[in-house]
Amino acid sequence: MKILKFLFLIIFAVSSVLSYPILAEFNPTYAIVGCKIVPGRGPQIEKGIIIIRDGLIEELGPAGKILIPEDAEVIEAEGLYAYPGLIDAHTSIMLETPKREPQGPGRPASPADEQNEVSNWQHTDFMAINHLKLKKSTIENFHKVGITTICIAPDKSIFAGQSVILNLSGEQPEPMVIKNPFALHINFVTVRGEYPSSLMGTMSLLRQSILDTEHYHLHSTQYLQFPGGLKRPVYNPFLEKLRPYVVQKKPIVFNCANMEDIKRALRLTDEFKLNAYVSGANEAWRVSEDLKKSDVPLFVSLRFNPPLTSIFVNQGEDLKKKAENEIYPANASHLHREGIEFSLTSSGLTKPGDIIKNVQKAIKAGLPQDAALKAMTLNPAKSLGIDKIVGSLEAGKIANVVLATGALFEESSKIQRVFVDGISYTIKQPPKGAQPSATSIAGKWDGLIKSPMGELTSTILFQQEGDQITGTISSELGNWEITGGVLSGNTLSFTIAANIMGNAMEMEFSGSAERDVIEGSISTMAGNAELRATRIPEEE
Amino acid sequence: MNKTYGTVVMFFCLAMAVPGLNGQNLLIKNGTLLTVTQGTIMKGDILILNGIIKTIGRDIQTTDDVQVIDATGKYVIPGIIDSHTHIGLSGTNEMGATITSEVKMRDVLNAEDTSIYTAITGGVTMVHTMHGSGNPIGGENVVLKLKWGKSAEEMVVGEAYRTLKFALGENPKQANVFGTGGTPRYPQSRMGVNAIIRREFLKAKNYMEQWERYNAAKKSKKGAKNLIPPRKNLKLEPLVAMLKGDMYARCHSYRADETLEFIKLSKELGFKIICFEHAVEAYKIARELAEENIGISAFLDNWAYKVEASEGIAYNAGYCTKQGVLVSINSDSPERIRRLFNDAAKSMKYGGLTEEEALKLITINPAVQLGVEKIAGSLEEGKHGDIAIFNEHPLSAYTRCDMTIIEGEVYFDRDQYLQEREEREKRKREEQKTKEKKGGVR
Amino acid sequence: MKKTGCVWTAICLLCLALGIRSEQSHELIAIKGATIIPVVGKDIPEGVILIRNGHISDIGASIDIPENAKVIDAKGLFAYPGMIDSCCTLGLSEIGAVRATQDSRETGNINPQVSSVEALRPDSMHIPISRSNGITMALIAPAGGLISGRSGLIRLVGWTPDEMIVKNPMLMHIQLPGGGRAPGERADATAPEQDSKKIQELKELFHKARYYQKRKGAAEKDAIITSPDFDEQLEFLLPVVNGELPVMISVYTAAGILDAIKLAKEEKIKFVFYGVNEGWKVANEIKESGSPVVLGSLYGMPSKWDDGYDAIYRNPSVLSQAGVKIAFSSSDAALAKDLPYHAAKAAAFGLDKREALKGVTIYPAEIFGMADMYGSLEKGKVANIVLADGDILEMRTNIKHVFIDGQEMDLSSVYTELLEKFKKRAK
Repeated sequence: MKILKFLFLIIFAVSSVLSYPILAEFNPTYAIVGCKIVPGRGPQIEKGIIIIRDGLIEELGPAGKILIPEDAEVIEAEGLYAYPGLIDAHTSIMLETPKREPQGPGRPASPADEQNEVSNWQHTDFMAINHLKLKKSTIENFHKVGITTICIAPDKSIFAGQSVILNLSGEQPEPMVIKNPFALHINFVTVRGEYPSSLMGTMSLLRQSILDTEHYHLHSTQYLQFPGGLKRPVYNPFLEKLRPYVVQKKPIVFNCANMEDIKRALRLTDEFKLNAYVSGANEAWRVSEDLKKSDVPLFVSLRFNPPLTSIFVNQGEDLKKKAENEIYPANASHLHREGIEFSLTSSGLTKPGDIIKNVQKAIKAGLPQDAALKAMTLNPAKSLGIDKIVGSLEAGKIANVVLATGALFEESSKIQRVFVDGISYTIKQPPKGAQPSATSIAGKWDGLIKSPMGELTSTILFQQEGDQITGTISSELGNWEITGGVLSGNTLSFTIAANIMGNAMEMEFSGSAERDVIEGSISTMAGNAELRATRIPEEE
Repeated sequence: MNKTYGTVVMFFCLAMAVPGLNGQNLLIKNGTLLTVTQGTIMKGDILILNGIIKTIGRDIQTTDDVQVIDATGKYVIPGIIDSHTHIGLSGTNEMGATITSEVKMRDVLNAEDTSIYTAITGGVTMVHTMHGSGNPIGGENVVLKLKWGKSAEEMVVGEAYRTLKFALGENPKQANVFGTGGTPRYPQSRMGVNAIIRREFLKAKNYMEQWERYNAAKKSKKGAKNLIPPRKNLKLEPLVAMLKGDMYARCHSYRADETLEFIKLSKELGFKIICFEHAVEAYKIARELAEENIGISAFLDNWAYKVEASEGIAYNAGYCTKQGVLVSINSDSPERIRRLFNDAAKSMKYGGLTEEEALKLITINPAVQLGVEKIAGSLEEGKHGDIAIFNEHPLSAYTRCDMTIIEGEVYFDRDQYLQEREEREKRKREEQKTKEKKGGVR
Repeated sequence: MKKTGCVWTAICLLCLALGIRSEQSHELIAIKGATIIPVVGKDIPEGVILIRNGHISDIGASIDIPENAKVIDAKGLFAYPGMIDSCCTLGLSEIGAVRATQDSRETGNINPQVSSVEALRPDSMHIPISRSNGITMALIAPAGGLISGRSGLIRLVGWTPDEMIVKNPMLMHIQLPGGGRAPGERADATAPEQDSKKIQELKELFHKARYYQKRKGAAEKDAIITSPDFDEQLEFLLPVVNGELPVMISVYTAAGILDAIKLAKEEKIKFVFYGVNEGWKVANEIKESGSPVVLGSLYGMPSKWDDGYDAIYRNPSVLSQAGVKIAFSSSDAALAKDLPYHAAKAAAFGLDKREALKGVTIYPAEIFGMADMYGSLEKGKVANIVLADGDILEMRTNIKHVFIDGQEMDLSSVYTELLEKFKKRAK
């Protein structure tokens, strides 16, 4: 017993020490001198000075006109470009996957086949702020691509939960919060084994839930004013959580996987006069007329894989490749030409590094550079309702500044340093001549997937080009494609495009890969599964 | 495809202004026209303006800017209508609940479903795409024109009846589903299927009464001070619409007895049945169906795949037609849909139908059942220009659909398809050659 | 003189009377006045076919009809050879969803020992339906696993299996996983790599079988050498590796077909290809191999968009034009009557109409090595004859008479029986 108590004390002590910040962030006054300033709003300044104090931009202007304060640390920035810190208005990176209870038999036995009391799709109270997995390396990766402000949104399940807007300075989430919650996030997905198990059910569920919230609100308020003739409304936690969004018209973000989802979102918005946003939308250009008519704020994903329903996926390999490399990257430029405002987001991407790569692809496909910049600064700031405090380099706003060696989205330009809340972060460049990982996982593997619902054996065939991974996974449930895989060192991630009983769904794998063993977890809407794969040796 | 709009065409468009129709102009020349309702016209022409059939006759003259299709030696029929499919949808059944009358196929349209293309290669221009038969009461169906390449909204046919899917027999009682795990859901017998349908309609009646009472109370001066409306119930609303006669039942049924029982149920509860789906035993009760004026939408000869289909006979469609039942032939399959005309031809052998009666099974009959006979189902002036052109008589086994036209616009052209295929294969051969030159890969 | 006339009349009357009483034997039948389409040789407008003892004893434009022949007036009708279904599950399957009625598929991977005719149900309700549509013979085949078992050729009439069996075994059936619509089965779209793995497995099996035989032979000659233990699988593969029993191999993809061609050459085994949905991509190679093709059901969809919507429909014509011998199959039981319509569908997409007809008559007979007796209307062949009021590949045609082994068939079926029963309810 004594030993146990002793061990317990040690663990307690160690963890409290570890949770205490080791070093307070160094937060001096800065004077950035001599750079070209692209403020995002207002004219560019060829050679300017930016003064940062206590986390805010105190002053900025042409070099001649600004006095450098006595206490300022001077940063020589001749030849560099200063931009507002970029804003990623929709990401799910750094979010812990919510644990799902394993599903029961699923079907009610009695004639009263009303919906289950607590269903898998009711997660309105899932607050992103409570489920963050902040990793220093991930924050660094955001900084590396110039992103200083992000909105983290839950992305599983129909009523997925509430998002939070963070300014990425420090290591603890609480000081980072700019706004919580931002919005309720809704996905057009289904639930396996219970209602709604199909998209048509999801649409009806959404409608019925909104109607029920309106009715519940009417009933509750009227009862409290004068109960005469009324039965007391039964407290319903789910409808309570929906009230602010349905009645007070707080923001709702619809995550749209394809153009039909966008139309579904617009229809619901119109029907129930919601304060809605459309996100995802990587084929938004195909419904530009509907978007123009509706005037709903648009978050456009930088993920260029065409959705599984897309005609570009079903008409041969050539068209599919063209879709990924030319057609879908041109989404943003089409929208721009139609005069539709939008923000560019990383939703669907799993690595911050891909964000800027894909912005560059979008620019190559026709999006003007300044439109791209606006789509990652002022537009998201406005949509997120924080344009008074971020989104441009202006005196009084938060000191989120990006210093680059050239125009921000040029392939040759590198980001040297970012300021977030006035704290300086130097970006480490990879040493010249660094070799990409030599691990190759190409070949055949025996995969064993363990989930709460049982085990599944499979055969996996990987193809590898550099660090890009593709392939197929075959099991008794069918043959599915592996897409968007990346092998970085020993870290492996990929997406499985599964099709179960006619329903298309995507599952994400992330884990580690050695030459002969791959281990990690697969996350789906129904929960998590563990995958362990061993290489099948080559036959003669 | 030349699409030129001259002022002349614009004039015609204005003259023929039909609300919501945005069709093309086309002149089909010199074909054998099988009008279905008005006999056969040899060496006939059809002029379509703004998507509507303006004139049917011989040697029709028109202006230069109207595209001309030479149908010499070919057979021209009304576009085929398949009144029971599940194409163009993201999902078929909502299996999370037993009664799912609240779901709507209109919410899950998928204009990119390649089955739509498959269907137009078989001369099909319109489909009734439905909820599946997994539940006793399914969802609201929708009628689509197969305008491949256009948006889903442009495909919806607003003129059609509103219909709700019902299902009886083995499918909703899950007779062929094994290992559901845990307690199987109710109902598991035909008794339960009827009981649960009755229950839902009784609930709907009760709901309807609640609303009537609320509306009356609102109007009256002595109304209760504190009045809130009943909770709007999306599951019961469609059933109320059926009780009011605004929506009709299309009921999947195999056995003759369950068909008759459902007719009784419809009378007991007060709703209308347009037709029974599949109805493989309809020949046993042709008399009742004819008396009740309820049609069937059936396979020609698909049978014996489950027990309730084991007494389905190929004579069903022909015999019922002769007994005065309105019969349409459907495919219920994205593969079969492209040979519906072959199925119709079989009714001549099994059932002794004439050519015209056989063609009606896939044109005007389904049009009547869907409530769109004013705009489709035959070649008549004033109807939509929905046309299929075949190289042989459409009821010959050797025939092939060469062109499919909807509202005057060509959506499938075999010549164009052949050209594209050849170009594609040429490109592949050249790619193969360069590959082989580079490294001798097989 | 009058007396002789009376005697002759009496004798004639007697013969006539005897002829009437012996109606049941139908030993001598004359089909008169039909347009004869023998399939081999020229069509004969308004010809005569004489049937004696179950065979065609004579056929031609003007033939003397013996007096005691039962004459069938076929004026206005067309006479065709009875059709042959080159692969189906007639007699092995009644109702799809009821496992108790399904006997075409055994469990396990290697089953050369099972024989489909041993599960044949002569009373199957599907057989009369095919028969009344002019189909007189069928190859009933097993499915499943890698080696499914042996098929047999049956005539579509008989009270007992023995009365129906024409030749057993006919072929050994092998199924490559890369697909092929084996009777009643959906094409499996597994990766083509699976095919090459299975071919390796086959090679090993054949190798083992050959050694097994050699060892047995050696043991017989020399008492010291031990004989191998009885191995059922290898035992039943011996006729295959000895070239006595040909193989029907079900294969779908172009790559799979090429691998199978290579295998046949290396193993010196005679193959008949089944399915070959992508055969049009390697038609020349199939021709070079000398193997004939039995096509699967044409009621299917191509798996790749790039192949074009009509890939399955035009496959037969591409193969035929490259010189491959093709035959059609229904690949079904409940829809086995549709055999001629698969052939017609191929003709709609480029196959010569006569080649299509041959694909359901003489070509199957040749592929099964039975062309000396079946497949066409020629003197000496078995009298399997169909009389129809039009082209038998057309759906609109009515079949008026069917003869199998010279006997006229009852054209009723469960279809007609149920119809007649419920016609009584008509108003």
